[in-house]
Amino acid sequence: MANPVERLTNLLALLLETSNPLSLHQITAELAGMYPEGLSASRGQFERDKRLLREIGVPIETEVAVGGDEAGQTRYWIDRHRYELAEVDLDDDERRAVQLAVAATRSRSDSAQAALWKLGAGRAGSEAIAAASIPNPPQLTTALAVLREAIAARAAVEFEYRSAARAVEPLGLLLRHGFWYLVAIDREHGERRTFRADRIEGEVVVGEAGAFERPSVDLAAAFPADPKLIAISDSDSEVLRTALVRVDQPQASLLEGDLGPQSVHRRGEDGSVEFSIEYRNPEAMRAWVLGFGPDAEVLAPDELRFGVIEWLRSTLEAR
Amino acid sequence: MSRRRTSEQRLSRLLVMLPWLMERESVPLAEVAERFGLSEAEVTEDLELASLCGLPPYADELIDLFIDDGVVFMGVPRVFTRPLQLTSVEAFELLVAVRAALRLPGVDRDGALVRGLNKLAAALGEPGIIDEDVTIEIEQPPAVDDLLEAVRRVEVVGMEYWSPSNDETALRRVVPRQVFTDRGRWYVTGIDTGLGASIDAIRTFRIDRIISLERTGEFVDPPDEELPAPGEWFGDPALTRARLRLPASLLWMVEKYPVDEIDHLDGGDVVEVVLAVTSEHWLARLMVRLGPSAEVIEPERWCDLRRSAAEVILQRYDSG
Repeated sequence: MANPVERLTNLLALLLETSNPLSLHQITAELAGMYPEGLSASRGQFERDKRLLREIGVPIETEVAVGGDEAGQTRYWIDRHRYELAEVDLDDDERRAVQLAVAATRSRSDSAQAALWKLGAGRAGSEAIAAASIPNPPQLTTALAVLREAIAARAAVEFEYRSAARAVEPLGLLLRHGFWYLVAIDREHGERRTFRADRIEGEVVVGEAGAFERPSVDLAAAFPADPKLIAISDSDSEVLRTALVRVDQPQASLLEGDLGPQSVHRRGEDGSVEFSIEYRNPEAMRAWVLGFGPDAEVLAPDELRFGVIEWLRSTLEAR
Repeated sequence: MSRRRTSEQRLSRLLVMLPWLMERESVPLAEVAERFGLSEAEVTEDLELASLCGLPPYADELIDLFIDDGVVFMGVPRVFTRPLQLTSVEAFELLVAVRAALRLPGVDRDGALVRGLNKLAAALGEPGIIDEDVTIEIEQPPAVDDLLEAVRRVEVVGMEYWSPSNDETALRRVVPRQVFTDRGRWYVTGIDTGLGASIDAIRTFRIDRIISLERTGEFVDPPDEELPAPGEWFGDPALTRARLRLPASLLWMVEKYPVDEIDHLDGGDVVEVVLAVTSEHWLARLMVRLGPSAEVIEPERWCDLRRSAAEVILQRYDSG
């Protein structure tokens, strides 16, 4: 039997070159000696080959023959226009810029590199002096690509999320702080929700195109970038509040550089700074303050200060 | 260097290699290998297979090529003259990379990348420079511009840098080589010219811990050392790993850092994560943020970290 790569290359060439759709019988006859003897063995091998070709993106067309010797048989071919990459006509500097963009985003996945090769660009190395790591595990990017198409087509999607089935109208994708989010309208509640795309479980099932009208959305405003400002519930405990936090040097200077001078409430003689910090989410607020270790202390409000103390005591006493 | 390649990988590579070769007629084997990330032996093996490909009614080979004296020669192209279209995943990743790169510092927003993006978008039937469906946020602190300029000029910078593990601020002299962002934080990687007489070393610093930055106007010869890929130091196998158990609701705090592994237990309400620990100090703070319902499972010497860290912070509140 032929080497699988040789067989696949031949099959691909045959389906691309044929002027008429071909049945399995005709294919195995043309590729004499490449497929096993016997209908079921050759059928099995052909099905595996077909699946592999489709996985790498080869569009294989099918039709069922009516009339003639082949009546009722499935016939196969490849439409060259659907197979071939359209001419992109990148100039050399544009091609280099795109290659550098892939290098700069650390999209060192096989897919991004495959795209570069198809465009006639080379290998993305570590040549970028400014870079951003963008998450791209294969399962995630597959889901994102499906969602991207569903958003453009205005198609509703269904998926599993936190062990529950969700049906949503997808509005957009947001990449923030290294995570991809899907902004969508939950069909059950009629409310806008945000989903972490990497927590979508299993496959994203896409419904019919044109299923909803997409309102104009500011994706970046879908939820606050600062976790301290994300209210988890609608309860009173999560209204907007201001905390007073004292931070010692040198972290006070670093924080002031980050938040700006308007966040400074008072400066202490020892160099420490009292900051006014807005929050809605007490848990995220507590976690933020504790990130400074013993170099920061909540002064007000009382419920936050006592909450931190209680948290520390129970951590100290935990088994 | 031998590795097993699947038929899928070999075929995909051939389908990009062949059109590229056909446009060029003759290319040194070494260049083909370098470009497509293969060994010369692998290129030879794959191209020889392809050259065997033949279908009736062609009298000659369908793919006319031969390799002689380290050079690949291509004959008259018949099939595979154009690459296969991009898959939806490839198109998505490529456009995300380009749009993200446009938000990085130092990119010419009227330049080649924008022109390239517009051509790509048109060919792929995608929106051009403005895509209402996908937003990529990359915010940058002001120090990034200065650091990037120092990278370009191979300039020494003086920086006052706070190190949390010993809570000390030290003046360092660094030749910045690259700035990058990962999970919302910015870093600079450069040659740390040493505190005192210690040996120069490639180090990565968090930009939000630079208290002050000064461009010195001193320039050095461009170093030729390879930089580690951003984020790779977290994957450094030499770093100790810790296994933590915590409620799934607190996972978001841990995911700010590169995590090797996440296992869901008890129907998903509890998770165990394995992550690289860059310093004990850092792990202590993480544990105290995670609180009483989270614990270090391994290694044992860190199981008590949360208690000692909580105690130190409590002292501050008790004395206040």
